[in-house]
Amino acid sequence: MLLRSVFAKQVRDLRWPTFWVSLGMGGMTGYFALLFPTYSKLFDLNDMLAKMGPAAKLLGASMGDASTLVGFLHIELFSMILPALMVAFTAGMASGFTAGEESRGTIDVLLSFPISRRRLILEKTLALVLGCTAAAVVVWILAMAGAAVSASALPADHLAAALVMLVLLGLAFGALALAISVATGNRGAAIGVAVALMVAMYLVDGLATVVDGLGVVRPLSLFRYYMGNDPLRNGLSLADAAVLGAVAAVFLVASVVLFERRDLAV
Amino acid sequence: MTTAIETRKLTKWYGRSRGIRDVDLVVEAGQIFGFLGPNGAGKSTTIRLLLDLIRPTSGSARVLGLDVHRDRLAIDRRVSYVPGEVSLYDELTGRQLLTYLGNLQGSVDAAYRDRLIERLELDPTKRIKSLSRGNKQKVGLVAAFMIRPDLLILDEPTAGLDPFIQLEFERLCEETREEGKTVFISSHQLPEVEHLCDRVGIIRDGRLLAVESIADLKDRALRRLEIDFGGPVPAEAFANLPGVRDLTVDDGILRCTVMGSLDALVKAAARFEVRNLRSIDTSLEEIFMAYYGAGDGAAEEVAGHAAA
Repeated sequence: MLLRSVFAKQVRDLRWPTFWVSLGMGGMTGYFALLFPTYSKLFDLNDMLAKMGPAAKLLGASMGDASTLVGFLHIELFSMILPALMVAFTAGMASGFTAGEESRGTIDVLLSFPISRRRLILEKTLALVLGCTAAAVVVWILAMAGAAVSASALPADHLAAALVMLVLLGLAFGALALAISVATGNRGAAIGVAVALMVAMYLVDGLATVVDGLGVVRPLSLFRYYMGNDPLRNGLSLADAAVLGAVAAVFLVASVVLFERRDLAV
Repeated sequence: MTTAIETRKLTKWYGRSRGIRDVDLVVEAGQIFGFLGPNGAGKSTTIRLLLDLIRPTSGSARVLGLDVHRDRLAIDRRVSYVPGEVSLYDELTGRQLLTYLGNLQGSVDAAYRDRLIERLELDPTKRIKSLSRGNKQKVGLVAAFMIRPDLLILDEPTAGLDPFIQLEFERLCEETREEGKTVFISSHQLPEVEHLCDRVGIIRDGRLLAVESIADLKDRALRRLEIDFGGPVPAEAFANLPGVRDLTVDDGILRCTVMGSLDALVKAAARFEVRNLRSIDTSLEEIFMAYYGAGDGAAEEVAGHAAA
């Protein structure tokens, strides 16, 4: 069944990483949703953030109102931990699509069967889109379940919007890692550059809220589009989603073009 | 369809010392063709160009009459390839891998595939990871033969195979030829393929030196000859005989190397008493070395000869 095509084989290869990243992200989100009332009784979270002052803003907590579950999830998970996990997943997997086959030496036999290089990349990417979406669905289910049990307010559509943005952010960085791995054949470099860029963009986005002058470069940070409109509170911004989607598409097309031209596993 | 492989001035230049240069290779369909040369001569580079895994610096290549780049998928449906060191998905079993590759191919005769598994004595339930090099090679061979290709490209296929399996492999190659299909085998050892091939191409330092039929090579066989005469014989009596080289006459025993017919030498020897005559056939390997194995000067000479 899962050996029917390159897509199916890639789904098979992704099943365990997808399981673990879903469990990690979904478990954390569900846990916070479940225990939010207890937390908010024990600590005055807004007070804590206020005491942190600009540091809280640096960490992406600029827009949060920690007295609601929505604000709490934004600060605790959606601003940093979930994107970090998602990008680690997408960049880690995408960077192996072709570079992994090359370093293992499997690409020669694979491509001697009737599969074009373009199709190889597109089918594998489709499998990754499916994996990310599955992880997002798991997060949604566990978060909604946790919120229902703890009777906390969590708008289903806004959570879905935030998760759509999370998937798109993951795909943008995944496509970037793919392009680098295709260009260089080096998986480690691809993951390294993608993660380093993510951290840099995250910091730029946070710093831009406190440091004057950084506002100019803020549009370069994908985090600006990912959470700039606070989808947990305001719902989906199609424009922001389109930017992330376009970035992913551009790097995907670049990957295909580069891969079609290159000498393989020399 | 008459030409399985045709390259024109095919060149891949990686820098000074590697790659191939101006290779004009024609392999007619319906034969087993040996592609011979020492390690690093450019055999794998040529094969990877034919498979469009790498792109030529200049020149062109056609496989089954199709352009190796533009008509890639049409070629892939009819050509299979086994690399020298088969690398496959470690986490799959042999059967899963063959199922996967069969699905990519589209349709595969499952009964034929299973017969191949039996003939090569492959245990398809084992994970690739746990297989020895020779057994991985078998998986690669089954994958290659199962699609019943019109052209089979094998890069040093027999390394790691045990002798019995090697025989079975050779039978498979011969069956493929009997069906009018083509087998292209690269090797750095002539003895491995000489009994199998109809023709061989010889590549060295990235240049194709010659393409010859095995029969022609054998016609030019070199024989070492030792003639024991009853008494002393004059060396001059054997001087300047056609095809005779490295002549020594010592204590009534003549030793020499003869290329081609023994006629002139035997007639010259018949004038004396011949007590004994021993002929030592040289292997094709030695012929090969005599023609192409010498220094660069000889190689140039042969290349010039082949071009003329």
